[in-house]
Amino acid sequence: MTTCDETTCDESETYRHANLAALSLRALNLGPSNLASLTRLLLFVVMQCLTVILIGFAALFVSFEPVWSQEAPQVFARPGDAHTGTLLLKTDDGYADAIRLGVDVDLTVSGPTIRARVTQIFRNPTQSWVEATYVYPLPDGGAVDTLKMVVGDRVIVGDIKERQQAKVIYEQARASGRKAALTEQERPNMFTNSVANIGPGETVLVQIEYQEPVHQSGNEFSLRVPLVVGPRYTPAPVVQSVDLRADGGGWGATVSDPVPDRDRITSQVLDPALHAPVNPTTITVHLQAGFPLGDVKSPFHAVKIDSPDAATRTITLADGPVPADRDFELTWKPAAEQAPSVGLFREHVGDADYVLAFVTPPAVEQAEQKPLPREVVFVIDNSGSMGGTSITQAKASLIYGLGRLQAGDRFNVIRFDHTMDVLFADSVPADAAHIAEATAFVTALQAQGGTEMVPAMRAALTDHSGADSNTLRQVVFLTDGDIGNEEQLFETINAMRGRSRVFMVGIGSAPNTYLMTRAAELGRGAFTHIGSVDQVEERMRGLFAKLENPAVTNLVAKFSDAAADFTPAAIPDLYRGEPLVLAAKLDKLKGSVEFKGRIGDRPWVVTLPLANAAEGKGLSKLWARRKISDAEIARTTRQVSPEDADKTILALALQHQLVTRLTSLVAVDTTPSRPEGEPLKLTDLPLNLPAGWDFAKVFGDRPQLPAPLKERRADAGDVKGQTAMKRALPAPMPDAVKLPKTATDAELRMIAGSILLMLGLMWLLLNRRQRFAN
Amino acid sequence: MTKVNHMPRFITPLLLTLIGLLLLGQGAYIHAKALLAQVLLERAFDATIATGHPTKPWSWADTWPVARIEVKRIGASAIVLSGSSGQALAFGPGHVELTPDAGERGVAVYSAHRDTHFRFLRNVAIGDEIDVTRSDGRMFRYRADSSSVVRFDASDIDPLADGYGLVLSTCWPFDALTSGPERYLLHATMIEPDR
Repeated sequence: MTTCDETTCDESETYRHANLAALSLRALNLGPSNLASLTRLLLFVVMQCLTVILIGFAALFVSFEPVWSQEAPQVFARPGDAHTGTLLLKTDDGYADAIRLGVDVDLTVSGPTIRARVTQIFRNPTQSWVEATYVYPLPDGGAVDTLKMVVGDRVIVGDIKERQQAKVIYEQARASGRKAALTEQERPNMFTNSVANIGPGETVLVQIEYQEPVHQSGNEFSLRVPLVVGPRYTPAPVVQSVDLRADGGGWGATVSDPVPDRDRITSQVLDPALHAPVNPTTITVHLQAGFPLGDVKSPFHAVKIDSPDAATRTITLADGPVPADRDFELTWKPAAEQAPSVGLFREHVGDADYVLAFVTPPAVEQAEQKPLPREVVFVIDNSGSMGGTSITQAKASLIYGLGRLQAGDRFNVIRFDHTMDVLFADSVPADAAHIAEATAFVTALQAQGGTEMVPAMRAALTDHSGADSNTLRQVVFLTDGDIGNEEQLFETINAMRGRSRVFMVGIGSAPNTYLMTRAAELGRGAFTHIGSVDQVEERMRGLFAKLENPAVTNLVAKFSDAAADFTPAAIPDLYRGEPLVLAAKLDKLKGSVEFKGRIGDRPWVVTLPLANAAEGKGLSKLWARRKISDAEIARTTRQVSPEDADKTILALALQHQLVTRLTSLVAVDTTPSRPEGEPLKLTDLPLNLPAGWDFAKVFGDRPQLPAPLKERRADAGDVKGQTAMKRALPAPMPDAVKLPKTATDAELRMIAGSILLMLGLMWLLLNRRQRFAN
Repeated sequence: MTKVNHMPRFITPLLLTLIGLLLLGQGAYIHAKALLAQVLLERAFDATIATGHPTKPWSWADTWPVARIEVKRIGASAIVLSGSSGQALAFGPGHVELTPDAGERGVAVYSAHRDTHFRFLRNVAIGDEIDVTRSDGRMFRYRADSSSVVRFDASDIDPLADGYGLVLSTCWPFDALTSGPERYLLHATMIEPDR
């Protein structure tokens, strides 16, 4: 065994050093008379070394103790896994060799909503029939409502069914040899597609569509596509269009920009043949902002931006298809100084009207009132998963935050991995000495250990000064959110929140946004994502602007005539630059909606006439998705019994055709549209493949393009299948593998240690001799 | 002479001795950690194979065993961890991110410290058989065909290459005391799938 070998190595090393010591002693001419003491010295050195090694072992055993209490095998369900996309093929014998040819993400902004269409093409190059399972991440707010698959020459369209029922239908179809497809929700931001009975040499086209609300913060609008490498799914970006009207004293109505056939205005997708990355991903964003656009930026990808007119942009990747190794983000600002402050959209579905309202409260200066003093508790995750750049970003962010504290503020710092340290017993004044101490503490942190988030959150929410204190209590929580017990964390926040507000800061390239968003929501704070070191200052500045400026509180919405079922039912406090987003279902589109609240100490009210609302798309689905999300929160926080919550979710999901925890999309060979034997051609497909997607080229000519996928055998049972799904895939890499650093400084330390030890002992010996001489 | 006068003369050498001991201890600790972790990992890996669930070697570990590498001729064996972060490599060889598992098409890359888990790499000769057991219990036999020395950022390994390959990587040169940019690669090809 290696262990024995290495022990011997270590020891022989030690002996070698000891011999070296003896030699040098001789070289110093200590003479043979000292041989006895030399031998003693030698023995001493050796014993010392052995003791040290023993102590090292003992220390290790002590620190490893919990291992033995942790006998139960654990299955990992890590939320971070939601960021992986995986295609797994099962066959009856041998390997299944799946080849993914490409991904196309097409996003269209229609008013306040984004319609995302993601198309993936796979081919089964094996000689056997296979079943493919594809796991992929989606944005949290995304409502999946459409699944289409072309398997060989069959077009399959999915229907919404209760999850169990869908599973049964799928299993039956699979057993009977019919083609079937199933889309399930694993987590709110992670979905699975399964396709049964793909024939030898057949090609699979997978297309998912989802609806998402636009994201706005201050003057900036943004969309985010979690793009991941390997056979991964790439969620689509979000685009918003709003129109600002000049009248209304700085307030305007936002108008959607209905573009009749967005599917056809797709720009050219760059030819993958010219660039030939492995697993090419193309992204197209049709940005139809109803207002003249200013800056449009993609911080992580080089993009090409076409401007057909002032309010429209078409964004494509500048260098053609990219290997998806980081999230795609797009931000844009209006040309005008001020972003549109109001948006009102409507949609008529069935016998109901749906309304979506965006309102950005004005930034009112607090002239006569001094800002309330604050108590800020910083919590930093220094677990092993934060290793590398994540911990650097987290430290930089925290140190920036410390620098932003003002006289009169109080603060504290908590760090955690599987252990936890609270820097000060209670929050301390933000004076130079305390800030210096905290900065030193943070700078010294190293990423290692596990992630026990709940005790840290508990400590951060423990409010020593009580609810009557006249300060704002804010918790800034920096983490990648890489934990599995999210529900426990949510319960902690919900139970202990009190007057504290929780601000989640997501660190790293792929933090668990589901956890962050939900935790911030429950903690009535906000979520900030920092993806790179460059973003630290900008994003933290934005966060602190929120922390330092008065929030809009006591918000209520009132519909004058219509009976409204709106979400969120209790409107949360708003921080500076955040819009209030309200989705409502109305019995009739009449009268107006009035929002009331307080900005600092001043009352604020705004009224929007419903009749002026502009036509929007997919609002009913967004409303339903938010209602479902509310029901999930109510279930988590035990406000509603699990049975009642599930009933609500199921009813909404079935009515609005949404994939949820309880419902799945299933398709069993309902629309065989192609005559037998006809070759598969793109133009024949009833799928709206993006213009410029050169099917023949992608499929026919370049066998070197495909990347091998994770392969699994059919005999892998359910458990193994799950495990496999959760593993990261071999990724398409433009360059070769980077090899980690694989040398320790153990020997350097040991040699330096031996030399110092030897010198010290020699010195001691000489001293003794001198003393005796005296 | 009084005792007081002797004291300063003893402080410096005592300090030196203490620092020496400390450094020696730190070095020994690194090795001890590497050794002991392998024992724990061995147990966790056996449990993984037995139960079919990934099992963490200790409760707060951020990683878990994914494979066992053995070179029977020289009696070397090591449990490989998922991921190749510095944290993981302190405990065992790491399965380099974004490369396929052993037994899958492509090149699986495992990396470990030259002075601990992959110390045996210098003794592996071309033609030696390398057995890799995956966490699902399946074993694949590879044969070492070549070695090379490359820079860490120019490994030239295409993880998606055709065929079934394996690369074991560690720091180069073997006897250097400080870490450098060079890596020693041992390339192997599968000769016997899944026994």
